[in-house]
Amino acid sequence: MTKQYDEFEQARRAANDMQNHVIDEFIAGRIDRRGLLRHGTAYGLSAALIGGALGAPRLARAAGKPNATIRVAITAPSTAVNPVTAGDTGSLCLLQQTGEFLLFDTPDLHLQPSLATSWSANPAGTIWTFKLRRGVKFHSGGTMTADDVVYSLARLADPKNGSNALSTFKGVLSPSGIVKKDDYTIVFHLDAPNGNFPYLVSSDNYNAIILPKGSDAATFEKTFDGTGPFKFDSYTPGRSATFVRNPDYWGKKALPARTEFGFYANQQSQILALQGGQVDLLQQIVVQGAQGLLNDPSVKIIKLRSSNHREVHMRCDMAPFTDKRVRQAVALTLNRPGIVQGLFRGLSDLGNDSPFAPVYPSTNKSVPQRAMNIAKAKHLLAEAGVKPGTQITLTTEQVQEIPDYAVLIQNAAAEIGLKINLKIETSSAYYGKATYGNSDWLDSQMGITDYGHRGVPNVFLSAPLLSNGAWNSAHFKNKTYDALVADYVATVDLQKQRIVSGKIETLLLDETPIIFAYFYDYLAASVPHMSGVQVSGLGQVFLQNATIA
Amino acid sequence: MSEAALPVLIEPTAKPNERLRAALTAPMFVIGATILTIWIACAILGPSLVPYNPYADDLMNTLAPPSAAHWFGTDQIGRDIFSRVVVGARSILSVAPLATLLGTLVGTTLGLITGYFGGIIDTAISRLIEVLLALPLIIVALLALVALGPSNTTVIIVIGLIFAPLIARTVRAAVLTERELDYVAAAQLRGESSLHIMFVEILPNVMGPILVETTVRLGYAIFTVASLSFLGFGIQPPSADWGLAISENYELITGGYWWTVTFDAVAIASLVVAVNLIADGIQGAIE
Repeated sequence: MTKQYDEFEQARRAANDMQNHVIDEFIAGRIDRRGLLRHGTAYGLSAALIGGALGAPRLARAAGKPNATIRVAITAPSTAVNPVTAGDTGSLCLLQQTGEFLLFDTPDLHLQPSLATSWSANPAGTIWTFKLRRGVKFHSGGTMTADDVVYSLARLADPKNGSNALSTFKGVLSPSGIVKKDDYTIVFHLDAPNGNFPYLVSSDNYNAIILPKGSDAATFEKTFDGTGPFKFDSYTPGRSATFVRNPDYWGKKALPARTEFGFYANQQSQILALQGGQVDLLQQIVVQGAQGLLNDPSVKIIKLRSSNHREVHMRCDMAPFTDKRVRQAVALTLNRPGIVQGLFRGLSDLGNDSPFAPVYPSTNKSVPQRAMNIAKAKHLLAEAGVKPGTQITLTTEQVQEIPDYAVLIQNAAAEIGLKINLKIETSSAYYGKATYGNSDWLDSQMGITDYGHRGVPNVFLSAPLLSNGAWNSAHFKNKTYDALVADYVATVDLQKQRIVSGKIETLLLDETPIIFAYFYDYLAASVPHMSGVQVSGLGQVFLQNATIA
Repeated sequence: MSEAALPVLIEPTAKPNERLRAALTAPMFVIGATILTIWIACAILGPSLVPYNPYADDLMNTLAPPSAAHWFGTDQIGRDIFSRVVVGARSILSVAPLATLLGTLVGTTLGLITGYFGGIIDTAISRLIEVLLALPLIIVALLALVALGPSNTTVIIVIGLIFAPLIARTVRAAVLTERELDYVAAAQLRGESSLHIMFVEILPNVMGPILVETTVRLGYAIFTVASLSFLGFGIQPPSADWGLAISENYELITGGYWWTVTFDAVAIASLVVAVNLIADGIQGAIE
């Protein structure tokens, strides 16, 4: 530690108070190397400096043959690829093929410069200043400046546009708060303090690609005009998209000459395409249905711990879940280690009924893990006066392991005398119009919903759980919780964040509006001789360093 | 779904009992009847016959191959597949026959009306039936189920109403022949009501083709119920339904977990084949 300490002394002299605090946290052993990278970069410490001091491996460029054509199987985009409204796995993967973000959130959950070169906050965490990279050209020819950034992000933050990123920006960033200081400096005046703001304009917010000022989101799929290492070649809705290397890219030029994305309806057809040699890479595989692939030596599995999860909501305003003891009782029936083993072959973290996934550094791990306890569950149910044989309807969607999970919950709840009836429908039927009163997701007594990975827990803490949250299918309304989340989000100091997250975890364990039983690993699969592929827990596939030997 | 043209020649037979006996003791008919009987027994007695609770999960024993403990292996959450296949007979053998029965009742009524009255009524209803028949069966069923919401009752109603036009067409053809016969003219001269003539005079004489058509439709109904379950619009989880089991597990075949699908598929095939063998036998008996 001494040597590193010395090296950090140098970093310390150039750092501000907040940055120094992160360094202290590391030296005191309260955050690990990953945490240091993550939080150091969030507060504008140079990644190169930290990386150099720690001897961190730079993202190695693979030693395969350049100029390959990389063929990828992805989930078919559900609608037109629109950067403002896109929210599905297929579309978000296509957005980042040509589009780039201000910052790049690596698989290790630390931020790297991308279209922004540096960033810093005022001590309160309410004003964030980003310096933009010079000499970045759009594929259509124009030079990227602050005007383009203001246009792109204001469009996402404007409630009028029905943007998918509103779940991230609501209460954090308003269009008027995005201010151009000069052509290469942007200042964000936040609606409320936010210690994790840089993540919200990074690749973690998949809609936040920077597009030319004045560009129309609805016709994006005709041009895919962005700044990235690949540029548009062709797009056939429902079938495929192809991209070619951008020779004018501002950074290191992409290694592959060409990339081809085939759209597949389901995992089975993707696996067959990989086994049949039609594609080199699968965007994502899930254990369910790919059990045979996990032990196949002719396939390379790319594995990433993530915050991907399922939320089992229980309507707090609907009998019998109005009594929190009933909600606790259901949560206590689940054999979580068994579920993780059975459904995911162990490739998953356990959840503790809060959005704080074990992968987040801000998670307070001193809060005890909830374990199965049938006797206690029965006792709670009896105390709440719920009679054996009480019927509950669990509505959910036919997605991956969810129907099996629903059956496991049904069987577990039967142990304490609750009779759960299943209603399993297509995703579109389940989400409906995605507004209260028009959606099984938001209106059902009990349901299971799929949630994709996020680099910070802010969205999971707010949209599905805040009293005014847009996705609050549990109809959970708790002022103490709302205040704690506001406190957490505003906190810029990791140690203090963890104190608040401990309080949130304890409160949610007690109230249990939502069961979070697991956070499963993100998995992708490729041919064995492929390297340099970078994926994110969201389903993004970064191919600029990919080679096939 | 292609329509097999059914011969509807009904001739007065000299020795119907002999022919019936011959048809009903034909090896193919006996095989069909035996298989069907076994499945009916499973449907009725299933839960008391099986070695495991078909709904109980066992997370430490998922996707186990067939063994002495689990004859057909276990599925993705460790449920015993043998128990599920046996118990699964019940849902399909209650839904498919009821749907067929509904289709037969509605179809026969329509067929009698169109065949007996002819003229504008026949033209109107027949064109309507042709429009319905022009649409693929599964698509119509899916649309109806999306509109009504999936449940056993809606599956019965939807399949029944889709089969009705098919049966109506067969019955109409048979009635057209009967209508010209003297006994109908005699009944009309006696002043019998149209309703009486259709259901009391003509119906008994067209029972043969109706019976054959019903049995053939039962085979199709079984297949349609299984298809709808497979597509996720029929019988709901955690039911041990065969079509549903195939839908839940077919992705596993490439991984080598063949037992999660094979036994359910064989069950569906055996039931459809059995019903069709029986239909052949009945047709042989009444011709």
